[in-house]
Amino acid sequence: MKVLRAHHGRSTLPAIICVLLSLPGAGPGAAQTTETSPKAPRSALLRLPDGHPDLQGLWMKSDGGFQGLFVGSLDGTNFAAPGRGRGDGRGVVGPTYEYTPAAEAERKDRVRRGYEDPEARCHLPGVPRALDQPGGLYPVQIIQDEKYVALLHEAMHDVRIIPTDNSKHPPNYWAWDGDSRGRWEGDTLLVDVSNFNGRTWLDMAGNFVDENEHVVERFTLIDLDTILYEASISDPTVFVKPVQMRFTLKRVPAEQQILEYSCLEGERSLQHYTEEDGGRKRRAR
Amino acid sequence: MSNPLTRLALRSTLAGVVVATLVPGSGAQTAARKTAFSPARLSDRKTPDFRGIWQVHDTAYVNIEGHPAEKGIAAGKSIIADPPDGKIPYKPEALSQRQENYRTRATADPSGKCYQAGVPRAMYLPTPLQILQSPGNFAIVYQENHAFRVFHPDTRPHFDSTDWWMGDTRYRWEGDILVADVAAITDQAWLDQAGNFHSTEVHIVERYRLIGPDALEYEARVEDPVVYSRPWTLRTVLYRVKQPGMRIIEDECLEDATGVRHHISPYDPRNLLKSDYSRSKKPAQE
Repeated sequence: MKVLRAHHGRSTLPAIICVLLSLPGAGPGAAQTTETSPKAPRSALLRLPDGHPDLQGLWMKSDGGFQGLFVGSLDGTNFAAPGRGRGDGRGVVGPTYEYTPAAEAERKDRVRRGYEDPEARCHLPGVPRALDQPGGLYPVQIIQDEKYVALLHEAMHDVRIIPTDNSKHPPNYWAWDGDSRGRWEGDTLLVDVSNFNGRTWLDMAGNFVDENEHVVERFTLIDLDTILYEASISDPTVFVKPVQMRFTLKRVPAEQQILEYSCLEGERSLQHYTEEDGGRKRRAR
Repeated sequence: MSNPLTRLALRSTLAGVVVATLVPGSGAQTAARKTAFSPARLSDRKTPDFRGIWQVHDTAYVNIEGHPAEKGIAAGKSIIADPPDGKIPYKPEALSQRQENYRTRATADPSGKCYQAGVPRAMYLPTPLQILQSPGNFAIVYQENHAFRVFHPDTRPHFDSTDWWMGDTRYRWEGDILVADVAAITDQAWLDQAGNFHSTEVHIVERYRLIGPDALEYEARVEDPVVYSRPWTLRTVLYRVKQPGMRIIEDECLEDATGVRHHISPYDPRNLLKSDYSRSKKPAQE
């Protein structure tokens, strides 16, 4: 019930986003054209007193699919399918997964066992899934100072407080979100994420990682209202080669605010997971 | 819960009246309690710097009223500063609900189910919290169940079209004191493990004040005309956690086969911290 309430609570937001996206010169098309020159002039960016770009604000993934499943499927259109929405040749790279043979068998099995997706049980999404949420649905609030960049995700009220001192990952620590350590490389925030517990899935479509997952993320403010997010996900026991992900986060209009996402307190997602996408209506336990 | 619209209209009206009547009183209180301590400032050289990891040193999480020692738990003095008897001024019918909550607390406490703690309960948990702050931004991240609150300026009204676990927070500065107005909190949240509670009509005014470089005084004035006969105030102090390398660690709950949820530690390799997949493919590394 709480999940549904949270959605209703910001029901105006997707509408406003839609209006904005339909304006000439705004929207994904405009955002993507800027990607041909990923580095904005230094003077064009807001900066903190320490000289680094100011990533603060409320942001929302602007494009892309529903975690590998589908978007806008009422008419059967799958905007998340390759070539639709996230891989349209305009700079947004949809992930391509190349699994080892054993891992590929596991992935196929997980497609069947979609109801075991930990996010359906309100668990932390992991990285990069925390940011790779359905486009235009869950915002992330960024608060930053000279020591850290903190990501407060609406979805699953997931939090990452990323120190920007290039410090080392701790020993003997295994977490759903891993351990994030950041540093500035010019105007790009580079985040190294390791120490995963191996329990998270990458999406609702069976794509997965184990505890050998290692992610390198890049956050680049490409204009005042756009962060380009890039992630390289490697996992030698699962993938033949690293998986690349790339999408943009757009600034959410100032009159909007992050809301609470209470999932565990009455989650209703699990009932929507069927044994196979569109297949038999096998309900979860 | 029978008529949410009526309830909402009622609360909005109440909140308006409360804010209007509160302001002069709290201003006087501010002046009276001003001390010589001047906190460090953020980069704007103006905003008091509340950043850091903080935690209380008391056992109010067990019972915000005075309580005797129990196995594994020290006795504690009431953190209720007003009324002077240190007791929550329940209406008689509400007091019986509190006794019922206390009797069933082992299973009824929402915190035992790994739900977000609510306000003010999240402030005096036996786990740390971190204040994130920059000029114009203020948020608290609680280690317990990775709950967080983003504080919004009080220039806009509460977003109270539904009830949240952590409420909707609007704040302003009164000198070096951060004053936060919290509304729209669900009646499912408790105030402590003893079953102290409020209704959806609860309205809280928090005051955050640095009383030393490593001490943060926290005050919450709690008003709820449904449950209490008069507003009451709790006050406690959070201390800066100075342990080297201290960070908020991940706190996530897993459900066991019987549906009971357990906090799992990111430091315990035995505790389901390896994926089922990798366990079946190769020996666990730890």
